[in-house]
Amino acid sequence: MFAMQSIHSSIAKLKQTALALSIGLGMGVTLQAESSPELIKQLQSLKSNDASNEIATNTIKQLYAAKDVTIIQSLTAMKGATPVGRNWLMGLANSLYRKSGKSQTAELNKFLSDASQDGEARYTVFKWLTDSNSELRKTLLDGMKQDPSPELRYLAISEAVQAKPDTQELLSLLDSARHAGQVVSIIGVLKEKGTVVDQVKQFGFLTEWKLIGPFDNVGTVNFDKVFPVEADWMDGKVKDEYESKLVVDGKNVNAKWINESAKSEDGTIDIAAIYSNEKGCIIYAAAEFDSEKEQDAELRLGCINGNKTWLNGKLVMSNEVYHTNMKIDQYTETVRLKAGKNQILVKISQNEQKEQWAQRFAFQLRVSDSTGKAVLAKGK
Amino acid sequence: MRFKLRNTFARSALAFGFALAVFTSSLQADWPQFRGPNAGSVSLDSKLPTKFGGESNANVAWQTKLLGRSVGGAIVIGDQVITTSSSGMDQRRLHLISVNDKDGSIRWQQEFVARGRTNCHPTSAIAAPTPVSDGKYVYAFYSSNDLACVDLDGNLIWYRSLSTDFPKAGNDVGMSSSPIVVDGVCIVQVECQGDSFAAGLSCQDGRILWRMDRPKHSNHASPVAIKLPSGEQVVVMQSSQDLLAVSPKTGKTVWTMDVKCSTIPSAMAAESRLFVPAAGLTVFDLSSVGAVPSKLWDNNKLAANACSPLVVGKRVYTVSRTVLASADLFSGELKWQARLPDAKSIWSSPVVAGNNLYIFTEDGKCFVVNLGDEKGEVVETNDLGESVLGSPAISGNALYVRGVSSLWKIAEK
Repeated sequence: MFAMQSIHSSIAKLKQTALALSIGLGMGVTLQAESSPELIKQLQSLKSNDASNEIATNTIKQLYAAKDVTIIQSLTAMKGATPVGRNWLMGLANSLYRKSGKSQTAELNKFLSDASQDGEARYTVFKWLTDSNSELRKTLLDGMKQDPSPELRYLAISEAVQAKPDTQELLSLLDSARHAGQVVSIIGVLKEKGTVVDQVKQFGFLTEWKLIGPFDNVGTVNFDKVFPVEADWMDGKVKDEYESKLVVDGKNVNAKWINESAKSEDGTIDIAAIYSNEKGCIIYAAAEFDSEKEQDAELRLGCINGNKTWLNGKLVMSNEVYHTNMKIDQYTETVRLKAGKNQILVKISQNEQKEQWAQRFAFQLRVSDSTGKAVLAKGK
Repeated sequence: MRFKLRNTFARSALAFGFALAVFTSSLQADWPQFRGPNAGSVSLDSKLPTKFGGESNANVAWQTKLLGRSVGGAIVIGDQVITTSSSGMDQRRLHLISVNDKDGSIRWQQEFVARGRTNCHPTSAIAAPTPVSDGKYVYAFYSSNDLACVDLDGNLIWYRSLSTDFPKAGNDVGMSSSPIVVDGVCIVQVECQGDSFAAGLSCQDGRILWRMDRPKHSNHASPVAIKLPSGEQVVVMQSSQDLLAVSPKTGKTVWTMDVKCSTIPSAMAAESRLFVPAAGLTVFDLSSVGAVPSKLWDNNKLAANACSPLVVGKRVYTVSRTVLASADLFSGELKWQARLPDAKSIWSSPVVAGNNLYIFTEDGKCFVVNLGDEKGEVVETNDLGESVLGSPAISGNALYVRGVSSLWKIAEK
């Protein structure tokens, strides 16, 4: 509500300014528009909606016309800006760089070396400065393997891995790497060199699960249906068995909880293999995560089927998507872990597609910090 | 839209104030969108070399390496060749690049960071849709549902993160529907299993003028603008569930049909007919004023798996896997089929210059097929040595090819 009022107020202010300008110009009077820092502030707080676009389109026009706006101003404002605002500011910075960037190398170098600045802005500056300077690129990247900017860190580690480092250096790079694909890649290189890394531990995949099902999802209509097991889970009093969709000898068969351990190095629970490639069904998977302390973390799920995930009874993600892809860290949500035992429930929904590529029924889940580094359960 | 005058007749026609319709075939338009003017994929007056690339680099005017990758096509606006690219970690960096037609040098670049999903199939890219221009601005759309509008100097006019507006919009195989611009409205088709929709955004500032729910199924086909007999322009959209036309300014449905269309190749219009990849190829009559188009014919032998159909003269052409088919425009009768020898998978929609069809394979081969009445003859097989998935552009006597990692200009030397 407050945000909306703020937007409306900004629009009103902008319209007043535009009106004043047009009146002023019409009368041959020069009026002072809003200052560049004020205009940049408007871009910084932009949301993605029609009102914001109306403001921003006019704001950026004024900034193009302003004589005092600088690249550094625009880049600095990216810190603390909304994701949408950062792209507007980056667009502005790119235009300013084309006009005068080459003459501001010293300021840009200083900006890049300030690790407290916005990571996306610093990556942009890095590329400007090193576009035609491979020596500088190498020198800078050598010192960026633990950079707070995920993009710079990723690039620095990629280049270092390509330089064929020895095992000790690779282990050090692995420790710094946060991007899932990069971690898998380094583990692969280490394996070729004869050093086996416990990938499950590296990622912090949850491997011990209790599964129950299959429950009816014929016609793929029950993604949002609250089955009794789900309702009981939320109430913290699950039973040992529930009526399932399976019929044997004309009688309904109850589903019982079964224990399953992820056997693959990517922590995947292969539901299709466990439940004989059952289609049009729903499986629930439950796990416990014993946290050392109360802390912020991320639940990172990979799943090729429809999925919902709850933490301690609270829904944290829901994705009704089937057979488009499955990869580590495919779906990521920020959560607050409590100290001690945290209960995780995942609902995995399989449809009835018949294509060969639509037969997978699987998921993987891990707990990490905001950078992607594994958060391990107590004692792991 | 900007036009270039290409020959004496055209200049004379302009001087005498002839109706536009008289000399459109003699004017060479820019190539402003996926499949060019009117999404026709054809430039009859253009004279392109049949032999190019290879070890001798024959008839390659220039090749410009670009950062990242793209599976969309390039567009040509005046003396600028404009394309998109995605680079960096998870292809999160979204680029819009203008290259000088004269020498392939980079004229300007604009850049953003993806705010939507950046998962896609390894053969695809986050830079998958072809950009579009109205001659004043360029509109770049990405698989991550980021939409940016820049002027012809690359200055950002507006930006919109449609995945921020609609967080469940996305597809981890990759989205690739190309935007179009009609009557001052930029139209996007974002069809997926999550937040599935089509929308019209103001070209002026990116406000969403209208939005309509679409079937929750993955769809990679692009919308197409067609002109009705009344003179009204409408936007035709296809999906696995329907075929409909909407008003570009309001999104109001003009007509809708229960037609199960393909979800990769896109429809096109020519000769008052709408050619839709559905049940093979299905053709509708666009000549009746105010009516839902009636079906004229369909032919399941004209199925297309990826490439959009095109019309030249009295023939319609489709590509199924590696087989090019030619059929009679009026009856749908199959006239001939030509197998493209040793062709690997094809994702790039073909284009026609003069009487030759140019079609690129995923591994960078280009078959040049002479379109005869009785047969299609492969007159040349060229190799750029680079994967090509986007449809090429034609302007004047040059072919512009967006390879996955570079941009090529092919023209007779």
